[in-house]
Amino acid sequence: MTTRKAVELAFLMAAGIVLQIMESFLPVVFIVPGFKIGFANIIALYTLYNYDTRSMWIVGIGRIFMASLLQGLLFSVSFWLSLAGGLLSLSIMSLLHRTGKFSIYGVSVAGAACHSIGQVAAVTFIYQQFFMQLYLPVLLALSIVSGLCIGILAGQLIRRLRRVTL
Amino acid sequence: MTKADKLLIILIMICSIGSLIPLLRHNPLPSQVVVYVKNQEVLRQDLSQNGTYHVEGTLGTVTVEIKDRKVQVTQENSPYHICSKQGAISDASTPIVCLPNETIVKIESDDVGEDTVIQ
Repeated sequence: MTTRKAVELAFLMAAGIVLQIMESFLPVVFIVPGFKIGFANIIALYTLYNYDTRSMWIVGIGRIFMASLLQGLLFSVSFWLSLAGGLLSLSIMSLLHRTGKFSIYGVSVAGAACHSIGQVAAVTFIYQQFFMQLYLPVLLALSIVSGLCIGILAGQLIRRLRRVTL
Repeated sequence: MTKADKLLIILIMICSIGSLIPLLRHNPLPSQVVVYVKNQEVLRQDLSQNGTYHVEGTLGTVTVEIKDRKVQVTQENSPYHICSKQGAISDASTPIVCLPNETIVKIESDDVGEDTVIQ
């Protein structure tokens, strides 16, 4: 890991943090509880496609920790939800990317869906109530849409930023 | 947008609809009548069995009758007889509460569990 790469990853982590915090201000959460559009996934996808899987893990996990830390929510419920969703989502994204059969849209949709599944599983575990999973069908359906949108955004970003050197 | 992507999206849609069905069918049919006196369980009967039962409340005997999958308090000692006038209950949403006798008649489902607590 060169210094240059470390600095680039740090910038990406910062961008992810900003996107995650900004997203928490959007009022979409009141329509369906627990739904996130997942802007921070753009950063994860960009890192995955421009660098490698390990960089994506570094940026992703770092972003989850730092965003919670900066909001004062470290080790709170929302942190564990974010971490559970993030771990599952990053695993699936790195898995699907490694098979090579999925385009960025598929990886993004899978990441969004697994983020929702991870969050619902964490909520079910924390509150010990099986019926928290009633959120799952709606969240899954919405995550397909949001995954596609984020995939389009990330695709555009990758295509345009490849010509820019830091 | 490869073929595998489309397969994945269809798979997620199927999972989304498929997980809806067992979750919605999970409602256990409430089927037991439980009578509590002073918060202790004194009578537990099946809702489908007709019968008349007597329970000792604080002010006297409370008669509970089960008929046609409905429960009713038919006779008890109290100043206003509110719980007798309440009529019959047939599901778990409302209990019959007789405060002078400290008696509660509830319909509960088969698995004796706590009510869910939402924080």
